[in-house]
Amino acid sequence: MIPSPEGRPDETDMELINRWKAGDSRAATRLVGRHSEALARFAASAGERDGIEELVQDTFVRAFASLDSFRGASTLRTWLFTIERRLMLDRRRAERRSRETVPVEESDHVSEYGALDGLIAEEAQERVRKSLEALSPTQREVFTLRVQQGLSYKEIAEVVGSTEGAARVHYHNALKTVKEFLKDE
Amino acid sequence: MNKCINSDIQEMLPDLLHGALADDARKRVEAHVATCESCQEDLDVLRTVKSAVIFAPSIDVDGVVRQIPPYRTILPAIERPASTRVVSWLVAASLVLVVLGGGSVLMIQSKGSRAANPAGYTRVPNTIAKNPDATKLSPSESIVVSGPDAPVVLPHPHALALAADADGLSDGSLVQLMNDMDGFDALPGSEPDPVISVDSGDSL
Repeated sequence: MIPSPEGRPDETDMELINRWKAGDSRAATRLVGRHSEALARFAASAGERDGIEELVQDTFVRAFASLDSFRGASTLRTWLFTIERRLMLDRRRAERRSRETVPVEESDHVSEYGALDGLIAEEAQERVRKSLEALSPTQREVFTLRVQQGLSYKEIAEVVGSTEGAARVHYHNALKTVKEFLKDE
Repeated sequence: MNKCINSDIQEMLPDLLHGALADDARKRVEAHVATCESCQEDLDVLRTVKSAVIFAPSIDVDGVVRQIPPYRTILPAIERPASTRVVSWLVAASLVLVVLGGGSVLMIQSKGSRAANPAGYTRVPNTIAKNPDATKLSPSESIVVSGPDAPVVLPHPHALALAADADGLSDGSLVQLMNDMDGFDALPGSEPDPVISVDSGDSL
């Protein structure tokens, strides 16, 4: 049987990577299509507001440029999250530096958790947004990766550069905070 | 409501939501949740958070792919013709011969010089025997002990510092002397501190 040019729908990431390395650009399209939404959601839930599309694009460009270093020890998505998170941290550092050098104007003032404004639709889900805002940045990352992305503690530890134990503690503290917040509302 | 103490089950609740549990584990967790109020509450919270619609922009997949540079494969080594390979081997062999030949010549020359001076010691004027006062070395003098392998020069402890004539010093010693001079405490390390004038009040 001749394989379809688009490849099998259940083709693994590793198979697609090998196809792309062999010169098949459609494999890259499949990989980007498979993971771009999750990357955009992760960026949004981590508090990124502007330039999420650019962030996702940068993540893929970097990832494809260094695919030789991806050995498949973790899933491709975990690896992509790791790259995206580093890019987000770089962005935040750069923003912080520019804030230190440029005088802060009235319009620049945002609340500590204001970065999530407008990300979650519907009035009923406002509570969830507020409960996530009540978390520390690391707790929020760990919690959303665990609950919304379904990553294991091992994968989360890899993404946030921590240990499984620390990720587990962050998750349980976050769950406790969110639960209390939702109960009080 | 009592807090559930079954941490194993609690850990698996997000996996249950994502359908990531094996059949056995899924049945076990579902059976536990059916009877545990605390876990039911946790699962409700997790379900609410998971289902929260987080607005993220849709990604232009083709646009992203256009930005990805093509994979740079490492080109396989080009098979060269047999004649080129023979020439390469000949050049390499010639280089080895030159190196070995040069080394042999140097060894022969070295043996020849040892034959002329079997002890291998450098002759040093016996100043001590000729002049008993010579046991006290002047600052510019050194004891030279030269063995068959490497000559050893034992400078007088104060030779460097008290050398009256810098011409007698080697380049290395001169550099060391300059470095030592830089480190002398008596020399200012930087520009002198500005003099602070004390206003006595007379100027007004």
